[in-house]
Amino acid sequence: MDKAAEIDEIVKTLAKVAEDPAAYATEWKARTQRKVFGILPMNFPAEIVHSAGALPTLLQEDDAPITYGRSLLHEFYCGYTRSLVDQAATGKLAAYDGIFLVDHCVALLGAVDAIRFELPEMPVFLAQFTASMDEPSARPQISGRIGELRQRLEELCGAQIEDAAIHRSITIYNRNRALLRHVYEMRRSGRIDLTGRQMQALVKSAMVMDIEDHTALMIRLIALLEALPAVPSGQVRLHVSGHFCHAPRPELFDMIESCGVTVVDDDIYTGYRFISTDVPDDLGPIAALTRWYFDRNNNVPCSTRAQKTADWESYLGRALEANGAQGVIVLMPKFCEPHMLYYPELRKEFHTRGIPHLLIETEHEGLALEMLKTRVEALVEIIRRPALAGEPA
Amino acid sequence: MSVTTEHANPAATAGRPAPRANRLVSTRAGGAMVKAYWDNLFTARDRGATVVWYNGAAINPILQAAGVEWCHGEAFGARLAAMHLEGPAQQAGEAYGYINELCSYARTTLGCALLTKKEALGQVEMDQSPDMPSKEVLAARLPPPDLFVNAYAGCSTGQQWDEVSYRLFDKELPFFKVSYPLLWGNKSDAGYLRGEEWDNASKYVAGQLHDLIAFLEHKTGNKFDWEGLRESMHYIKRAAQLRLDALELCKARPTPAVFWDWVASIAPINFLPGNQALVDYFQGVKTEIEERLAEGVSALPNERYRLAFDGIMNWNKVGWLANKFAEHDAAVVCGRYTHNSFWHEPHLIDEDDPILGMAQHYLLCPFNHSAQNLAEQVLRDCETYGIDGIVFHATRTCRSATNGQLVLAKMAQQRGMQTMFFEGDVADESFYKDEILQSRLEAMLETIDVQRTRVS
Ligand code: SF4
Ligand code: SF4
Repeated sequence: MDKAAEIDEIVKTLAKVAEDPAAYATEWKARTQRKVFGILPMNFPAEIVHSAGALPTLLQEDDAPITYGRSLLHEFYCGYTRSLVDQAATGKLAAYDGIFLVDHCVALLGAVDAIRFELPEMPVFLAQFTASMDEPSARPQISGRIGELRQRLEELCGAQIEDAAIHRSITIYNRNRALLRHVYEMRRSGRIDLTGRQMQALVKSAMVMDIEDHTALMIRLIALLEALPAVPSGQVRLHVSGHFCHAPRPELFDMIESCGVTVVDDDIYTGYRFISTDVPDDLGPIAALTRWYFDRNNNVPCSTRAQKTADWESYLGRALEANGAQGVIVLMPKFCEPHMLYYPELRKEFHTRGIPHLLIETEHEGLALEMLKTRVEALVEIIRRPALAGEPA
Repeated sequence: MSVTTEHANPAATAGRPAPRANRLVSTRAGGAMVKAYWDNLFTARDRGATVVWYNGAAINPILQAAGVEWCHGEAFGARLAAMHLEGPAQQAGEAYGYINELCSYARTTLGCALLTKKEALGQVEMDQSPDMPSKEVLAARLPPPDLFVNAYAGCSTGQQWDEVSYRLFDKELPFFKVSYPLLWGNKSDAGYLRGEEWDNASKYVAGQLHDLIAFLEHKTGNKFDWEGLRESMHYIKRAAQLRLDALELCKARPTPAVFWDWVASIAPINFLPGNQALVDYFQGVKTEIEERLAEGVSALPNERYRLAFDGIMNWNKVGWLANKFAEHDAAVVCGRYTHNSFWHEPHLIDEDDPILGMAQHYLLCPFNHSAQNLAEQVLRDCETYGIDGIVFHATRTCRSATNGQLVLAKMAQQRGMQTMFFEGDVADESFYKDEILQSRLEAMLETIDVQRTRVS
């Protein structure tokens, strides 16, 4: 098999896992006889579940239309939360031994409460992390919550979680993140030309599968990628921003890339945002996981957090300087409050920097790809012929 | 047409003029107090006062004791919407880039912030008309802030919105945030006002209030007036108790006052200073209700149904909704927003050491509960007030208010209660659909009639 075919095979294996996390979880459970917990975005420290000997699987939006979930969550919630509730109502969360979350987005909390009602036997545990990062009381509060998580996991798994186990999990996850960041770096520098669909498969599968198995595949993949000659691209370089909590539909990336575009970087959750930050390895385990929470928001700020000194727009400005993207596509899940609130700040930053951008709202059901394609083409045209760039696309 | 249908839509079939809600007269005094409060606040800068913009919980007694003037963002947004003057602020927000699915309170108030900044630069034309301030001028009249405090329980948007206000004012002003854990109930002992989580959350918030006081002292240079705080809380506790007593009187059939009267009393209890005038206001409301009971005067001429209202208020539509329900002889007797909020557990306040009780009230924001907790409170009220059905306001842009509603409706149905949903919004009229409310209300009332026929 040639290298390109081997790369393709590895990516396809990962994409398959990413497409059906519940199937993977069921198979893993049968194979290992251990527990699988569903964890929710965007700040959950998966290491703590891993250190309990269980599999942390980040629950994903699925493609199915919303049916029974309608009677539990209003239609004006983001697609991710509606899909989660629908999965609960249609028996698709049966593989999981519990659900854990730390985030406080109002829509997410509503969804999880509905899941708790629908699945009364399912352990559901909220260790709410303080979202305001500025006050001195926040850090001890977060540490306390991580301690509670540890305790609840110990109860559910029937064994103590030793500090050494958490340290080991931290090392394993840091290694995995570093490998994924390496691929991102290769993409930014134009060394490789993995598509948006492929990049998403790499990250999304890391959210779902046994992290050591994932790392093994990543090591093989990187060796193959490094052995390939670089393919310089003359296409328009774009950065994709936003899309919290769940993955944009792969077809969307296909469509964008079909317009003469190379996506060189992103800050979406199922992308660079997820892998941006390692857990420090020189602190006690709880202190380290607490620090990670704060470090992440400094590295890639998120508008679901409240921090005076970290700005998503300033981060984006720096990222664009570094990755040389010529424009930005902002992907916003419809009804995503934290994104809607901050979008004007991003827009202002793009205007100030003279960076063309396009806002695309995504929905759970129905993506008007043909219509969107016309808008992406218009953005590409503006970038190619800067004289047209009076207004943002 | 069935007999029950005739009952369900009497205005259309009985040939009598549509009944209107007989609203309390005493609440008008509150309107005057609130207007005076805002008029005074508009001049704060001229008087050299320090102005705090805040959102969320009623931390005004703390701000008062810190010697600053307070501007409650949501309250101003609600005021504009109730006066149908929200348009300019929302348009300013839209031009800035806010999408109309974003919380309309936040959109309106952020629009006000944009207009306030513009006004500060002398770009809003002042209207010389003596009677009617120009719409834009009113939305732009908030005094610019010197400090921000965010204290929003239950809703992540509430917290993030001040984060954006801070950015709109160039990230330069001092800013403090109080964070509240959702009363979620991980443990089996958790519930309304009880359990380890409640105790821990109460202490956590109380600690933050002490930090807030230290922050205010540091930023303003004013020594915090603890005696002043005790005094305000003394008056607030008395006013809150009078409000509760008056609510309790509405167990009577027919009820002497309805939900819309309590909506009219939100502003005074939510952000006016704790003083004798506040106590007098609620004494006045209670006295009027007692007089109505003594004289046999009811809120509706022909109360036939007793309903509860769940969700945040639809500020553009208060008077309109009051009459809409009255037309159907449906007395909305209680509601989560009025009955489970606004210093509604005054026994928690220790007048000598009020911080913990204040923290607990902030945690008790009606949108800071799990569905289970909500059900405990709302279904208890339904029993107390003899409710036939619950009307859910599915507030399009306030997911904090709609969280748990569908679950709560299922729980109510399990107890044999009728439920209905209508779409609207907190401060954006465009999401409201009259026909939907009309047809669903009629359907629910009809079902209540059928239920009654079966029982009899
Ligand atoms: S942050 Fe946005 S995408 Fe995530 S749960 Fe909240 S509304 Fe949905
Ligand atoms: S969504 Fe609702 S609770 Fe949240 S800030 Fe807006 S009005 Fe307040």
